Amino acid sequence: MNVLEVINVTREVTWLPWAVQYFFLIGISVACLLMSLPGALTAHNLPGRFTFLAVIGALTCGIVAPVALLADLHQPGRFWRFYTSPNLRSWMAWGAFFIPVYLGFLMLFAWGILSPLLARSAAPQGSWLARTHHILALRDDRAHWLVVAGGAGAALFGLLVFLYTGMELMVVRARPLWATPYLPLQLASTSFIGAAGLVIVLNRLIGDYEQSADAAARGWLVASVLATMTLGMAWFLIGLLGLDAAHAKALRTVAQFRSWQLTAAWAAAATVILLALVVTRPARLTWLAGLVALHAAWMFRWTVFIGGQTVPKTGAGLYAYNLPLGHEGLLGIAGTFGLWLALLIVITSFLPQPTAEPDTSLVPAE
Amino acid sequence: MSNTRRNFLEALGALTVGAVSMAGSSPAHAAAPEIKPSTHRWAMVVDLAKCIGCQACTVSCIHENAAPEDSFRTIVSTYEVEEAGATAMVMLPRLCNHCANAPCIPVCPVGATWQREDGIVVVDSNKCVGCAYCVQACPYDARFINADTQKADKCTFCAHRVEAGLLPACVESCVGGARIFGDLSDPTSTVSRLVATGETKVLRPEFGTAPHVFYLGLDPRLADKVDGEPTLWQPQHREAHL
Repeated sequence: MNVLEVINVTREVTWLPWAVQYFFLIGISVACLLMSLPGALTAHNLPGRFTFLAVIGALTCGIVAPVALLADLHQPGRFWRFYTSPNLRSWMAWGAFFIPVYLGFLMLFAWGILSPLLARSAAPQGSWLARTHHILALRDDRAHWLVVAGGAGAALFGLLVFLYTGMELMVVRARPLWATPYLPLQLASTSFIGAAGLVIVLNRLIGDYEQSADAAARGWLVASVLATMTLGMAWFLIGLLGLDAAHAKALRTVAQFRSWQLTAAWAAAATVILLALVVTRPARLTWLAGLVALHAAWMFRWTVFIGGQTVPKTGAGLYAYNLPLGHEGLLGIAGTFGLWLALLIVITSFLPQPTAEPDTSLVPAE
Repeated sequence: MSNTRRNFLEALGALTVGAVSMAGSSPAHAAAPEIKPSTHRWAMVVDLAKCIGCQACTVSCIHENAAPEDSFRTIVSTYEVEEAGATAMVMLPRLCNHCANAPCIPVCPVGATWQREDGIVVVDSNKCVGCAYCVQACPYDARFINADTQKADKCTFCAHRVEAGLLPACVESCVGGARIFGDLSDPTSTVSRLVATGETKVLRPEFGTAPHVFYLGLDPRLADKVDGEPTLWQPQHREAHL
C-alpha cells in the first residue's frame, strides 16, 4: 500500500530552544557539582584548581538554568502555580521543588568551599570589596561544615534533578525517541561530558592555567564519553536487532530520513573526534576537546528535544523546523549564553583568584 | 436527521421545559441549584465511508472556538492510497479522543487539565502555565499551544454547546453525517448501538488510552503513525512576525 499524505496539519515545536538551554545548563551544573565533591571534601583549606573551576561551573550554570526554564513556559508569570497547586503525579511538578532546593544547597556549598579564598583578601578596613570579603568569609570550622552539609544536600538534590529531568522525558510514551530508560542515563553521561569540557575551557579563561585541572577533566571526559558511547550503541543495537519492540519502533520512525542519518553521523563523529583528542592529547589542542565536549552535550539535547518534536505522532514524514531568529529561537539561545557569560564575569571579578597550588582533588585514572 | 440529532433536539425541548419550571421555583433554589453528578459519557463515532473530506468540520470548529491562525482542534487528514493497482482517497477526521485513560492528564504539573464526569477532557485556562507537557504526552497530536492565549488548547467536544443541549460544531456542520455524537451511557443512543456492534475501531489502541472517538471503516494501517509520503503545508506565521 502506497500512501500519499495530501492534507494534514503540522504541530509546531512547543518545547522551545529554551528547554535545550535549561537541560544543557542544569545537567552541566549537577555534573560539575558531583565532579567537585571529591576535591572539596578532601581539601583542607583552599580548593584545588579543578575543584574551584567545577564549583564555578556548577554555580554559574545552575543559576542561569532556571531562567531558561522559566522562559520556556508560555505563561512564565504563572510559575507560582507550580507551588500552589502541584500535581504530584507529574515529574515536572516534582522538578519545581527539586530545583530551588538544589540551588540553595549549591550556594551554601559554594560559600563554604570559596570561603578560604574570601578570607585571604578580607580586610575590615580595606576597600569595599575587601570589606565584603571580610563579611562573607567564614571561620574554617563553619566553612567545612557548610562544605559537608551543603555538598551532601546539593549532591542528593542534584541526583534528584538528574532523575526528574530524565523521567520527565522517559514517561512520554507518545514520543518513542524519548520513551526509553536509556535516555535519563544518556542525559546524565552527556552532562559529565559537557561539565568536563567546561572545566577545560574555564581553565583557560579564569586566572592562571593549571595542567592538573586539565588532567582531571580529561579523566572525567574519557569515562563519560565511553559511558555515552556504550549507552548509544546499546540503544541502537536493541532497536536494530528488534530486541525490544518500542526501541525498534523508535529507530524505525527516524532511520529512513536523511536529516536523521546526518545527525547520527554527526554524533558519531563528535564522539570519536572527542575521544581521539582526549586520548592522544595533541599539543595545544586540549581547548578544542573542551569545546567539542560542550558542543556534543548541547547537540545531544538539541537532537532529543527539537529533533524529537519534529517526528509526527500520527502523520507521515517529519515536521519541518526552522530556527526562528527571535526570542523563541536564536536570540533565546544567544541570550542564555550571554547571561551565563555575564554571571561568570561578575562572579570571577568578585572572587579573589586562587594561586597555583598542588591540586588535592581526586583525579580519575586515564 | 440522524437519531443523534433528534435525541438532542428532544433533550433541548426537555431543557427548555425545565428552564420554564425553574423560573417558577423559589429564588433560594435558583441561586443554589442542586448539582447532580453527570450520568452522561459523551463519545463520537466517525463513519469514514460518509466523510467526503470537505473540511466543513474544520472550518466550523475554527469559527465556533476561535482557533487562531495555523491551529486546528480538528482536521480531516486526507490520504491518497494506492493498492493493487487501484487508487482511492481516504479521509480520517482527527480530534481529541477524550480518552478514559488520558495520558495528558497526569503529566500536567499544576492539575490544569482534567476529565469531567461526562468524559470530556478539558483545560482550565486560568490554571494552565503553558508548559506544553500535555502537548508532548498526547499520542494523537491533538493538543497545541494557542498562539493567542499561550495556553494549551484542544477539542472540548464543544462542551459549551453540549451543555446547552446542542451538538458539537463539527457534528452540526458535517454534510455527510459522518460524525455521530452521543451518550455512551445511554444504551439506546446511536453511538452506543454503533460501538456495541463491535465494528468500530480506535486510533493507536496499543497505547491503552481507551479513546472515546470511534471509527467505522478504519484501515488498521492508518490507525497508527501513517507510513507514507508527506506533502505537508508548513505554517508561516512565525516568520511573518519577525
